[in-house]
Amino acid sequence: MNSTAALRGATVVLGDRAILRDFDLEIHPGVTVVRGGNGAGKTTLLRTLAGLLPLARGTREPATATFYLGESAQLLRGVSARDNLRTLAAFRGVALDGVGPALASWGLSAAQAARPVETLSAGQRRRAALARLDVERASLVLLDEPFAGLDDEAAAHLLRTIRTFAGERRALVIATHSRFELDAGANTVVHLG
Amino acid sequence: MTLRHIRIIAAREALAERGQPDGLVSAVTFIATLILVESLAVGPLAASQPAVAAALFWIAMAFAAIIVTSRSFERELEDDALGAVLALPGGRDAIYGGKVVALAALLALVAAVGGGLSLVLLSLDVALPGHLLTVAAAGVLSLPPVMVLFVALALRLRSRGTLVPILVLPVLVPQLVAATNGTAAAMSGDTAGALGWAGLLVAFALVYSVLGLTIVPAALE
Repeated sequence: MNSTAALRGATVVLGDRAILRDFDLEIHPGVTVVRGGNGAGKTTLLRTLAGLLPLARGTREPATATFYLGESAQLLRGVSARDNLRTLAAFRGVALDGVGPALASWGLSAAQAARPVETLSAGQRRRAALARLDVERASLVLLDEPFAGLDDEAAAHLLRTIRTFAGERRALVIATHSRFELDAGANTVVHLG
Repeated sequence: MTLRHIRIIAAREALAERGQPDGLVSAVTFIATLILVESLAVGPLAASQPAVAAALFWIAMAFAAIIVTSRSFERELEDDALGAVLALPGGRDAIYGGKVVALAALLALVAAVGGGLSLVLLSLDVALPGHLLTVAAAGVLSLPPVMVLFVALALRLRSRGTLVPILVLPVLVPQLVAATNGTAAAMSGDTAGALGWAGLLVAFALVYSVLGLTIVPAALE
């Protein structure tokens, strides 16, 4: 089966330490869960798959469209959640009319979506960031600790979204310490460290 | 990278500056204070000499450019907003061009305020106003390509606040010399001099833009 993305013989060095060494990973449609202790290299692996970190050795086969959400919400301060999402959607060339409904489905009212992101709570910013999933519709989704800072309602919504995406044959790579129920439905569980 | 991507990043920068105008406000306050203090320090007679007034203005503009550019990238690092753009296809390439365009527009505003203040406070006579505007525009265009390049290169360094001025000011000396001479030429009625220096400033802008577009996408992490 053709992979959505892959790392082959990947070595990633940060500072003077090789975080990943001769690492091979093929990402197929469905869910790949990445587990490992603190400092095991989960974030490095996701950032490498996203093309945010250079390889010291090896090759990266990128997906046609990659979505990466790190541990931060990655929304620009001074700009509303709505305009942040509209900007990123416009950059990808996808329709902007999905932004409002996406934010609403993640529990942000129109008034909250119009406020500068720094005036939202951390959980609301996280919800706004996750609403990008519904707007940008990438073939490879990389989520780093996506459940951090979410209340039960938002976490349940995220789990439903993950299952929906997996059902649509999109590839998701999720690095998390929690939510062991994800492992049962995953294609692969990668243990680092 | 496409012009559409550059335009989107520039518009994003404008939105952020409108919502959090601290960089622009700091730069305008700074340039106004610096022009006033410098003119008092050298005395009103000396400060109204074309070469002196022009030098005071462009030195102030160089520091204002450092403030605006540094603030722009600090905002990107808060909450890792930059990461979202870098992970987009073409984002790594567009960030440099978008920032340069947006910061040039911001610096044009700062220059308008600083230039207006200089004209009023120092009672300057301008022999060739059109040429002065041309030199000012070329000078403003010459600053962001250098600033964005160096701030981006120093982005992940803890001491970037100290390092950026140390690294960038020596590199800006040719631009400052050209802008000062061009401005002084326009003020004193030297048409050929003003246009010549303006052309050199545009050349600097083009050279550093090509350098930045080549280096920054590879350097950003």
